[in-house]
Amino acid sequence: MKGVLWLAWRQQRLMILSGAAVLVACAAWVVYRRSEMMSLIDATGWVPCPGWNGGCESLATFQIMDGNVTGIRALGTLGIALPALIGVFWGAPLIGRELETGTIKPALTQGVGPRRWFAARFGLAALFTLLASTVVAALVAWWWAPIANTLDGPYWHDAPIYNATGPASVACALFALTAGTLAGLLVRRVLPAMGAAFAAIGTVTVLVTYFRRSWIDPETRITPGMTPKRPVGSAWSTGEFGYLTPDGREHSIWNVCQTSGEELRRCMAEHDFVARYHKVYPSSDFWTFQWIDTALYAGGAALLLGLTLALLRRRIA
Amino acid sequence: MSDPTHAPALRATRLGRLYAGRPALHACDAELPAGHITALVGPNGAGKSTLLQLGAGLLRPSSGEIRVFGHAPGTAEARRRTAFLAQEKPLHARFTVADTLRMGRMLNPGHWDQAAAERLVRAGDIPLAARVGALSGGSRTRVALALVLGKRADLLLLDEPLADLDPLARHEVMSLLMAEAAEHGTTIVMSSHVLAELDEVCDRVLLLAGGVPRLAGDIQELCDGHIWLTGRADPMEEDGLPRAFDRGAVVHCAVSGRQVTALVRTAPGAPLPAGTDERWIAETPSLETLLLAHLRGAATPATAPTTAPTTEEAAA
Repeated sequence: MKGVLWLAWRQQRLMILSGAAVLVACAAWVVYRRSEMMSLIDATGWVPCPGWNGGCESLATFQIMDGNVTGIRALGTLGIALPALIGVFWGAPLIGRELETGTIKPALTQGVGPRRWFAARFGLAALFTLLASTVVAALVAWWWAPIANTLDGPYWHDAPIYNATGPASVACALFALTAGTLAGLLVRRVLPAMGAAFAAIGTVTVLVTYFRRSWIDPETRITPGMTPKRPVGSAWSTGEFGYLTPDGREHSIWNVCQTSGEELRRCMAEHDFVARYHKVYPSSDFWTFQWIDTALYAGGAALLLGLTLALLRRRIA
Repeated sequence: MSDPTHAPALRATRLGRLYAGRPALHACDAELPAGHITALVGPNGAGKSTLLQLGAGLLRPSSGEIRVFGHAPGTAEARRRTAFLAQEKPLHARFTVADTLRMGRMLNPGHWDQAAAERLVRAGDIPLAARVGALSGGSRTRVALALVLGKRADLLLLDEPLADLDPLARHEVMSLLMAEAAEHGTTIVMSSHVLAELDEVCDRVLLLAGGVPRLAGDIQELCDGHIWLTGRADPMEEDGLPRAFDRGAVVHCAVSGRQVTALVRTAPGAPLPAGTDERWIAETPSLETLLLAHLRGAATPATAPTTAPTTEEAAA
């Protein structure tokens, strides 16, 4: 390796090599656990039956789920934590430590300009972030897919799955790296920068999660008359139920007819309700949510990266 | 300015830089010709480090401009021709000495003198495999200096290069710098608090106080342009100097007991100032005496009017 790239590698190799070792260990563990799961599925002749009430409360289902749900959730939790870990322990010291120890001075008074110096170190960190988050996301998805959305097992909208798989988790990790880098540049001390990065990444992740359902409308499932609502299956229930009048207006169950049986028939007749509705996000919305979140995180990362470059330019020539 | 080859090594024009809301440098005009070793002196907080970092392109001016060999610091051309030693000698603690020199080689492709850098390190008996974080302050300074010298720059900006060195190492480093300047025509600017040793190595001086240059020029000419007077204090005068004395030329004077000492501006070969006679001792001041008097004069501006400077002195 040559020039600034050598310097970036020399300074980050410990992180990269130990991170790669953890990834390899994770991958080996998942390969072993998943092959166990698959042979159990083959041995029992189990077929997927998505949904809470998918109708496969069998011993095989119980055995398969019991043996793997905890592992998948644990790996998914690592996937959730990964962006924060990268932002705090990789992003914040990336420039913050250079500023704190003053080593940015000898680095930037050599023959290489600050933009190339930054591009090399940030590029290397971003490359590893991309690799690590993609590997973790792929491992979670690969292990989870055969038993996806089964019984009480993790669903596509559960945090350990949704936040740890798909393009959004990769974009979130890159956003976190950028946020940590900017925090280091602004705060100029590693420890406070780590705290600031953690707070910023946590806030943004919570906000994105909180507003997730604001971006797209749920599907409204209508069942005529008193017919019970359709099983929710692998869809994500919004918890919004109610009744429809002939003009199509919705009346939430929070306000009327919180009853059942004969009493419900009377109540519905009294209010002239002709149908029942239930709002859900079908499992195909996973990708819509994922691409919206990806755009938000990637946009945020681009914004913060631009800000970092502008600040770097203004503070040091 | 039009021809960069004849541009001064460093030129500051109305240069200003704010630090924490206060001006660290204020409307600073200075010009350091190429091929000289300039001592940058002044009290703490005078703006020495700020000026050096502006020259190295690590800070940007708040106002005015600074040029090295006619180029703005931070441009590729200025960066190639300038080397900088930071005051706290920051180096990557986890790097070995060899790694540190390798960093210099990697970041200065085609302009790196590994032999010169290694020579300086070996002269200090520092093993190349040692971790920088485990080195003593003096050894670390030496490695930092090796990184500076290996760069083969035309202008070395050194912030307190001698501070952590023992007297022997100090001497060795100074002769090394002098050899570097003589051999390659390198321009060196070094800030220091060790006034006494400066005139061994430096031929020019720039005195900063309160963010403005108080004195600048060739050391020999500056010393010749001043006279160091010692005489009997006049009890009738508050400052102890004779009544007829031209106080406009006094840089600084001090009374101790019945004796008064004064540093006075003069022209070479000029007669003794009015009011003094043959009982006064008149000497050419040493650089240390000259600088101390100017530093004290700058601290109490009433005794050192900064108007009417001589040609070699920058207006304050």
